[in-house]
Amino acid sequence: MKSSLADYKVGDKVILKDVLDAQLTIQLYSMGCVLGEELLIERKAPFGDPIIISVEDSFISLRKDDARKMQVELSE
Amino acid sequence: MEKKAFKVEDKLRLVLVGNPNSGKSTLFNSLTGLNQRIGNFPGVTVEKKIGSVRINDKVVAEVIDLPGTYSLSPRSEDERVTFDYLNDSKRTDLPELIVVVADASNLKRNLLLATQLIDSEQPTILVLNMMDVVERNKQSIDIDTLQKRLGIPVVPMNARLGKGTKELKSVIGNYQYKKANKFIEDHESKDALENTISRFEKIKGIIAETLTKSGESRTATITRKIDSVFTHPIWGFSIFLFILFLIFQAIFSWSSYPMEWIEGGFLVFGNWLSETLPQGVLNDLLVDGVLAGLGGIIIFIPQIAMLFMFIAILEDTGYLSRVSFLTDALLKRFGLNGRSIIPLLGGAACAVPAIMSARTIANKKERLITIFVTPLISCSARIPVYTLLIALVIPADKQFLSFNLQGIVMMGLYLLGFAAAMATAFIMKYVVKTEERSHFVMELPIYRTPRWTNIGMTILNKTKLFLFEAGKIIIAVSIVLWVLSSYGPGDKMATVDVKYKTELADSNADLTAVNEKIATDKLEVSYAGHIGKFIEPAIRPLGFDWKIGIAIITSFAAREVFVGTMATLYTVGDEENTEGIKAKMQRATFSNTGEKVYTRATGYSLLIFYAFALQCMATVAIVVKETGGWKWPIIQLVYMGALAYFSSLLIYQIFS
Repeated sequence: MKSSLADYKVGDKVILKDVLDAQLTIQLYSMGCVLGEELLIERKAPFGDPIIISVEDSFISLRKDDARKMQVELSE
Repeated sequence: MEKKAFKVEDKLRLVLVGNPNSGKSTLFNSLTGLNQRIGNFPGVTVEKKIGSVRINDKVVAEVIDLPGTYSLSPRSEDERVTFDYLNDSKRTDLPELIVVVADASNLKRNLLLATQLIDSEQPTILVLNMMDVVERNKQSIDIDTLQKRLGIPVVPMNARLGKGTKELKSVIGNYQYKKANKFIEDHESKDALENTISRFEKIKGIIAETLTKSGESRTATITRKIDSVFTHPIWGFSIFLFILFLIFQAIFSWSSYPMEWIEGGFLVFGNWLSETLPQGVLNDLLVDGVLAGLGGIIIFIPQIAMLFMFIAILEDTGYLSRVSFLTDALLKRFGLNGRSIIPLLGGAACAVPAIMSARTIANKKERLITIFVTPLISCSARIPVYTLLIALVIPADKQFLSFNLQGIVMMGLYLLGFAAAMATAFIMKYVVKTEERSHFVMELPIYRTPRWTNIGMTILNKTKLFLFEAGKIIIAVSIVLWVLSSYGPGDKMATVDVKYKTELADSNADLTAVNEKIATDKLEVSYAGHIGKFIEPAIRPLGFDWKIGIAIITSFAAREVFVGTMATLYTVGDEENTEGIKAKMQRATFSNTGEKVYTRATGYSLLIFYAFALQCMATVAIVVKETGGWKWPIIQLVYMGALAYFSSLLIYQIFS
């Protein structure tokens, strides 16, 4: 079941399935956040914005708006 | 491209590129040491760091350090500089070798840039930096395989400890360009998205082949632990505010000693120069014009350098990006971005470098708003003006809720500047139109202990840049001001001399006092005096007389000129003698009504005026450069001028 990254809570591990914005895709890719990669939701600021995720050993901060554009699936 | 026929000759240029936080600057500093300087790229003010390094007996290479970038599809102005440089086919004056610096502990994403350069057929070598982190994480990288798969030389290094420098030099010395296989096919026909995706497909395969998998990374675990405090909603903000408080305390208490030495040094040098050079116009121009103007700016160097130091430490340890994370949600509501916090902090030292640091903001609108509001933050040049005026209108022993009122007003002015900046940003959010969607995707580097060499170099380079950028303008304006206040229309200046002739001839007269009177009278009839009288009707409602009018005009160059001008206007020979200026200003009256000029109302009004008005030529110049035209600096000048005028008007009417 795919849903947006913004719907998950801190500590969840998810697999990145799709990004609904070309510009955002390039940005995420160039920081090592690639389709099929496992993301860990590290931390959320108050009101869930922004969010810190980690991909392998990189930490990336992004806004809730960006997270909504990222389609993910819960990792096994 | 003729670069294909590449061979190392006696002259060579190494171009360092790499992701932010890949240790590129550390490598640059360890290669070049103090053999470095700052140049400007044509048209933009990005600092281009140039240095030189001896490769072997025959070859000395020039080294250029380009701003960090993740890929060759630029997102911010910073990255665009690198992009433009690498795509400029006209730079053929020297054979160039591109050195991609990659963080080996984050190999996958660091390889993207290298593969793009391979496909652009430029001579490229790859440095795998931070090999120590890879070892600490109990991983290993198969360098030979990586080299074969990429088709370019790969050098493992630890730039921080200088490990691998010898190997790097030997690889450069023996370099011979041979066309590597295309990393991906038809890369030119693919759009940026497809291009990036297919690159990562292949990079993934290479990583699987060359990098041994490992369990939990130790460095990441430490960073997580620190972040649980530093990015905590309550603790994180409290720590940030506490750090800010410490920084400002340190800046104001530590910088007072070097500032006193500089002040003293200039005084001694000025006196020496004035006595050594033959009397005359040149002497006056050098001592009262140029030297006075320069002294006014160099005195702020300790404060500015110290603020640069603290910001550099916060940035180098990785803390500053956490502050951006904490403040983004708040700043977003004001049309800004988490990254705007760096210019806003820097603005408290000096708006010029602060505005330059806005370059890392990718969104054009957010960057523009940041540039627009940064000069409203009270900078160190306002401190002498605030100090003099507060001392003038608020008794030192006056208390408010058992706090010293002078201190409260000082702090209030800083808060007022910050509030005005935020309010202005909020308005601009609705005024400035943009199609561009705002992203805030930012890497949070792992925490590191500060690399002191890098910090030292940053302080040195930024301070130098500030000194030259602002210095040029201040010297020019000081000369103009000196002319305006030393000459006047008609023969009125000569009349002043005649008027005091008898007094001067009197052997019993106090010569210093007479000379001071002459100076005041001359200023009144000078061009500057005429301009002051001319604008007096416009500023009278704010509680200002013509003398303040002159000071406002002269301090357009730089705010701190206000104090010097006041010293001249109130004929205090020694401009360091604040008590002297204060006493005379307190006695000043309006010539037509005989009322006291410096009432509480005028004092507050003038303080507000200096908090808001864009009285700084250097800032205007930098905004012209950074926004690429005169439109925004002019809007900024008019807006801040109007804000200053009407706020002062309001304050004066309330308090008088």
